[in-house]
Amino acid sequence: MNYETIIGLEIHAELKTKSKIFCGCSTQFASEPNANTCPVCLGLPGTLPVLNEEAVRLAVKAGTALNCKVNHMNKFDRKNYFYPDLPKAYQISQYDMPVCTDGAVEFECGGRQVKVRINRVHLEEDAGKLIHLEDEPYSLVDYNRAGIPLIEIVTEPDMRSPVEAVTFMRMLKSILEYCEISDCRMEQGSLRCDANISVRPAGQKEFGTKVELKNINSFRELQKALEKEEKRQIELYRFGESHKIIQETRRWDSGKGRTVSMRSKEEAHDYRYFPEPDLLPVIIDEAAVSAIKDSLPELPMEKYRRFTQEYGLSGDDADILTGDRHLSEYFESTVSEGAAPKTAANWVLGDVLRMLNESGISSSEIPVDPVRLRRLISMVEEGKISNTAGREVFREMFVNGGSPEEIVEKKGLTQISSEDAILELVRKVIAENPKSVEDYRGGKTKAMGYLVGQVMKESKGRANPSVVNELLTKELNRA
Amino acid sequence: MSGGFTRIPGKDCGFMSVCEISAGVAGGKYSASEITEMYIEKIKSMDDGIGAFLTVCEESAVAQAKALDEKIRSGKKPGRLAGVPVAVKDNICTDGIRTTCASRMLENFIPPYNATVVEKLLSEDAVIVGKTNMDEFAMGSSTENSAFRITKNPRDTTRVPGGSSGGSAAAVAAGMVPAALGSDTGGSIRQPAAFCGIVGLKPTYGLVSRYGLIAFGSSLDQIGPMTKTVEDCARMLEAIQGRDDRDSTSYMGEYQQDYAGRLGRDIRGMRIAVLKEFFTDGLDSEIASSVNESVRRLEGLGAAVDEISIPAAGDGLAAYYIISSAEASSNLARYDGIRYGYRPKEFADVDELMEKSRSEGFGAEVKRRIMLGTYALSSGYYDAYYKRAQKYRKLLRSQMAGVFEKYDLILGPASPVLPFKIGERMGDPLQMYLADVYTIIVNLAGLPAISVPCGISRDGLPIGLQLIGPHFGEAVILQAAYALEQELKLEL
Amino acid sequence: MKISKDDVVYIAKLAKLRFSDEEIEKLTGEFESILGYFQSIDRMDLETVDPDEFADGRETVFRTDENVFGGDREKLFRNAASMRGTFIQVPRILE
Repeated sequence: MNYETIIGLEIHAELKTKSKIFCGCSTQFASEPNANTCPVCLGLPGTLPVLNEEAVRLAVKAGTALNCKVNHMNKFDRKNYFYPDLPKAYQISQYDMPVCTDGAVEFECGGRQVKVRINRVHLEEDAGKLIHLEDEPYSLVDYNRAGIPLIEIVTEPDMRSPVEAVTFMRMLKSILEYCEISDCRMEQGSLRCDANISVRPAGQKEFGTKVELKNINSFRELQKALEKEEKRQIELYRFGESHKIIQETRRWDSGKGRTVSMRSKEEAHDYRYFPEPDLLPVIIDEAAVSAIKDSLPELPMEKYRRFTQEYGLSGDDADILTGDRHLSEYFESTVSEGAAPKTAANWVLGDVLRMLNESGISSSEIPVDPVRLRRLISMVEEGKISNTAGREVFREMFVNGGSPEEIVEKKGLTQISSEDAILELVRKVIAENPKSVEDYRGGKTKAMGYLVGQVMKESKGRANPSVVNELLTKELNRA
Repeated sequence: MSGGFTRIPGKDCGFMSVCEISAGVAGGKYSASEITEMYIEKIKSMDDGIGAFLTVCEESAVAQAKALDEKIRSGKKPGRLAGVPVAVKDNICTDGIRTTCASRMLENFIPPYNATVVEKLLSEDAVIVGKTNMDEFAMGSSTENSAFRITKNPRDTTRVPGGSSGGSAAAVAAGMVPAALGSDTGGSIRQPAAFCGIVGLKPTYGLVSRYGLIAFGSSLDQIGPMTKTVEDCARMLEAIQGRDDRDSTSYMGEYQQDYAGRLGRDIRGMRIAVLKEFFTDGLDSEIASSVNESVRRLEGLGAAVDEISIPAAGDGLAAYYIISSAEASSNLARYDGIRYGYRPKEFADVDELMEKSRSEGFGAEVKRRIMLGTYALSSGYYDAYYKRAQKYRKLLRSQMAGVFEKYDLILGPASPVLPFKIGERMGDPLQMYLADVYTIIVNLAGLPAISVPCGISRDGLPIGLQLIGPHFGEAVILQAAYALEQELKLEL
Repeated sequence: MKISKDDVVYIAKLAKLRFSDEEIEKLTGEFESILGYFQSIDRMDLETVDPDEFADGRETVFRTDENVFGGDREKLFRNAASMRGTFIQVPRILE
């Protein structure tokens, strides 16, 4: 018996605004608890919310990028529940008239053309943060996050495997980043994802009972959590115990690598939604929507198409490059400065990425100017410096700055291609390594590699390797 | 004079008006300090017998008056309410001054900010002398629901002053202040004004900022002035109204600037509708005849009066209690004992902390309304209650709007009953709710309305007349109320 | 309108309020009489009324995305019963 997995996602993304959604407090990370608070976001008696225009603009931008319909009239509602991190004991959210509805994102995954429909995009405020002390019977509340604007994106159950879900999330993340809607830092919680998953025997029309997974903090965890839960549900089916799958919320425990039922959340929620009387309906006119539409950058899917078609990049290379707006822009700048696309892609995906990972610097702040990278590439291509030297120069530019020409000069890295100079070194190495020469002549061709290495070493890496090879072979075969 | 009402003999400010004081202080006839001290003395000597105040801020008031005198001495132009002592209902936030909502929940709550209306009063150089008693969280019609004290009606101290702004009404009626601020969610300014024989105006929803007014029913709440005279009421309204960026429901359009200047105008040809639905079985006959007498006097002044019917107007009470309680249940959810407010001595966990804070911190009526509101919003009942109530509200709005196409004002009594005895109605919540029957439709429709004294009962109890205007029709309301006040010249 | 004690108990739980048995009993009675009165709304024909409550045409105002100082923290938190440093402290919450 085969089983089909059905996955839908609910994603929360913090919007990149300067101030909170209903007050002027900063959204910047503050080291001090409760530093970014005021009477409004603390829910003090008598205070009232006033809507941040930029939050609405970003939500519309997100909806537009996800091919949604923008609702020209939408409104806010109160979602009522008690929790210490929720200052007013209600969250201002959008219930039945969200800002955007009915979108879709399409992509290919494992040979299947996937279309994930977007049910809705709505605006709401974030809650504060709780910190649970280890050794004392207390929890601490920090309201710095309370009131930071969020969009909640709800998909239809259109994904059929954990891999599809992760692919969708990557895609969504790059869309939100491209459009500068959210920072999308999953590890910091500015992008959060809950997943609904069910399985059903292949061919069955009705959905199986769905389980909601919470507390997922990375793409890897999303995949692991979904795979674990998929396996758990399929096994229950296999043993004829599918009735044991109940509609519940399960918390992903990344440490233990399993999902755990959240008993406390099981009691039916009765959120008593009703229209927020402190805010009037939000009216967004057509002109505002078109202005936002016009401001959208090229989206990752389109860029991917262009990179593979225009530049002839492989699917994998284009995928990695377009997955990161800044990286793709860096690549394109290097190309527009005159570098060959494939060579530029190799550099960006190789040394640039490596240095970014090593240094922890973000791709938006690559310290090497694309013009300089292009000049470095040219020096290598023209044989002025060796490949190895080129990488050393790049590292130097990345870490300490400077132009490639200066660094090559200062470090004396100019490639030696003069046959006279190299021949001198070759003869010296042959004279100093009789054992290896003998080995080579005795048929151990491996010795060749060692001898090449010695010549390179003598030249401090500057000798042109192909010239070295050529001359060494000639000299060894001479006698 | 009758009942327990007394004027203070000897060195006394008597019943000085807002206009008299502000003109006198600005012109150097009185100093703000002497006015402030006089009123503070009056509060000290009188309020034990009335119970209008929860907090008297003598120190800050004296300091404020002194600073104002300095300002005037240095030749700077004082504000419109120069030196006018004002009492503020205790659900309006005052920076650094305890604001309790007459609830154990907020017994020690000191707001870190001023309500917008308080900022406006201060910028007009009014002097805030104290915070007044009320029904807890403004829920009630007699001020008996205060967690702290009973307020007596200065006209007859065995009777209630009405509510929920009973403390503000009593303070003005007793002459302890020339003006006060109240709040009105279903009649909480107009009904106590009627009970105490003063003028009380509930402005159009959105005319006065709600920022800093501790919310009861957000879509109904409105702050308004309570004064001895219509002219003072107009002056106070001029000072407190206005667009506020901190209140999204604040009115965006043009504001009428000079209400007081229009008061003397003739009301000849003014079209007034008397609402048939107001004259029901429950209406006290003395109130009915007093209101009818006022109608005749207005006709005598040249107004054209017709009797009309607004079919929906008689059924507003249910919708009002559903909407106000639903909003209250959500507005009062924030009182969970965590960030501020009452906290129990012992609790095992967070849930118990919240439940005990709320159960011990709120009084019976507040809890009753939170329960009602929670019920009306709960799953399965939303459509039957809240949604139907909203539909009713829309129907009422359109019927009222229809009337204002033909008429300038709607007229009726402010309350179906005369001030009742303290304790008389506490047993039966539904009976208490019925006291609001004439005032709630105004809040549901977001309209402005005034209660102005129109007569005195055989027992010497004041009777109030209600004039309802179209949205932002405060000028017409005040003009008619002034004409009636001048015509009746009641000895209150 | 028949209201059961269980209804009242459920609503109390949602509202985070505790009542004694007698109070629940009393509230159940009051609920019945008040909600019974609320039924008067049923007498009216509201079917034709558009439930959209925003017919008065007013729309919300926006705030520009700027930072405004939130106020002195000492003042903001002076009403809190229990602080640790600048955190609010509550009994441990089990998730």
